[in-house]
Amino acid sequence: MKKRYLYVLLAPGLLFLTLFMIVPLILTVGSTFFKDGGFTAGIYAQFFKDAYFLDILGTTLLVSVMTTLLCIVIGFPVAYYLSKLPPRKKGIMLALAIFPLLTSSVVRSFSWMIILGKNGLVNNLLTALGIIDEPLSILYTPAAMIIGLVHLFLPLILITLVGVMESIDHDLVRAAQSLGASRLTAFRKIVVPLSIPGLIVGSILVFVGSLTAYTTPALLGGKKRVVATFLYQNAITLNDWQAASAIATIMMIITFVVIGLMNKAAAKFKPKG
Amino acid sequence: MSLLQLENVSVAYDQQYILKDFNLSVEKGHLISLLGPSGCGKTTTLRLIAGFLDATDGRFAFGGKDYTRVPINKRNFGFVFQSYALFPHMSVYDNVAFGLRLRKVKEDEIKKRVMRMLEIVSLGGFESRFPQALSGGQKQRVAIARALVIEPDLLLFDEPLSNLDANLRVNMRVEIRRIQQELGITAIYVSHDQEECFSISDRVAVMNKGIIEQLDQPSVIFQYPKTEFVARFIGFNNFIAFEEREDEGSFYSLRSGDYHFHAAKAPGMPATMKGAIRPDDLIAGTLAEIQPGDNVLTGKVKVSTYLGRSYQYVVVTPLGEFTVNKEMQQPYANGQEIRLLFPSEKLVLVE
Repeated sequence: MKKRYLYVLLAPGLLFLTLFMIVPLILTVGSTFFKDGGFTAGIYAQFFKDAYFLDILGTTLLVSVMTTLLCIVIGFPVAYYLSKLPPRKKGIMLALAIFPLLTSSVVRSFSWMIILGKNGLVNNLLTALGIIDEPLSILYTPAAMIIGLVHLFLPLILITLVGVMESIDHDLVRAAQSLGASRLTAFRKIVVPLSIPGLIVGSILVFVGSLTAYTTPALLGGKKRVVATFLYQNAITLNDWQAASAIATIMMIITFVVIGLMNKAAAKFKPKG
Repeated sequence: MSLLQLENVSVAYDQQYILKDFNLSVEKGHLISLLGPSGCGKTTTLRLIAGFLDATDGRFAFGGKDYTRVPINKRNFGFVFQSYALFPHMSVYDNVAFGLRLRKVKEDEIKKRVMRMLEIVSLGGFESRFPQALSGGQKQRVAIARALVIEPDLLLFDEPLSNLDANLRVNMRVEIRRIQQELGITAIYVSHDQEECFSISDRVAVMNKGIIEQLDQPSVIFQYPKTEFVARFIGFNNFIAFEEREDEGSFYSLRSGDYHFHAAKAPGMPATMKGAIRPDDLIAGTLAEIQPGDNVLTGKVKVSTYLGRSYQYVVVTPLGEFTVNKEMQQPYANGQEIRLLFPSEKLVLVE
């Protein structure tokens, strides 16, 4: 108990977070329950009856889930490849992989608009190859949002997975092989289960990131809205701060539920003993 | 005919040869040890046999078939790792059952075999534990059970005891030898611990810089090292360079400067000009106790150290410094003149 004075070191951070995060959060959440001087949860009931909002919520969840799944499918093999590289090469490759995170999301989204537009790279190429006659409408759909978000968040899952995979002793894979497992079986039965903790952390980061992303869906989604852009519209365009606060509260709750569920799943995969 | 044969195998990384034109053959049912300092190529040899790495050159035959290009999972060799390499997300039971499940053995048969194997390694009742909850010795026994349960054609040990403490090491090596002999399995054992290798092996191969310096029964290597490297590795600290050698039938007559020596001949002992002897085999005595003559040198005590059971002296003689151990109550004083006797049956010639 001699080290009690060490808690003093926490004070500045604690003060900052209390003033600028915890108090505003309480105020935000609290403000949604008061209307005309009375306590009511009416605004939430209204939202969940509103087909327009439910559609936006559905799109948001679909985009977030698809982004997360795609990141897992694309990220897993890449992360395994990266984790097996010699240190020098791995550093360079990881830096390249993280690059999307270092570019401005506005610039990144405009690049995708050029690539995915009616006269964009993809459509021109497909038309030139004679695969399609009419240009596809990819831009301003959920698909465009998903592409943009996968591009943005893939690095997150790569970093967490590479970290976990590096710590897997390669002798475990050799042991599995010496016991009769093919490369694929050894990967499936040893590498995959031991990577799950990293996979879950990465998935949470990607999911929460996609759920709250603003710029990418705003630019690539066109008229199609997600919760974050809807929130912005309510606050800035309609000046309805109470509705905006309620949306923010709903987003937080979804985030907490998802993190809780994933952590539960993670605990299940943790080696016991 | 030998079960396993490495023929002119080479392994190289970045133009650096780790093994070059390496040859080894192992008889069925034998336990052979690869012994040597780190970097001598012993682990490389083992990993090559397991299939974890490919030879740049040469051929590996097993049971008369060419195994050079057979993938790891088709070799049916058990491998026991220095780090144990137990699967941390599986129970002891699932670890041991892993190989059997891949072989599509029926669950009730798996159960019978896993339980019997855990019994053999004295781990009955541990099947539902996870690796984290086991001690080092228990982990290593699980690793051995896991490698044995698939009834491997060959068992490979990579320094399996080096992470255990001294007492456990002795017990475990007895266990390993017992299990290996009971099941009649051919095994290759890699270690840098001389005592460990000598105590459990039918044959020991002493390796240095990617070649085998000597391959023989432990007792033969112990008494008659063939090369200076082997001699040094197993504790022959004293060397004499001779200038003349004559074959006298049952012994060699040797000369270095004005001093004459006899060395008893032994089968396989090379005819060279370099003699070697252990500190334990040299006999030290006062000028009164040992008379000058053949096989005797006179010298002065330079350093004396206490080893517990005996004293060790470094003695300066006209032929250089020699180390000698002697059990005695009252040690010689530094600077005292003593004589050293080289028993002719203990003085060996090495390359």
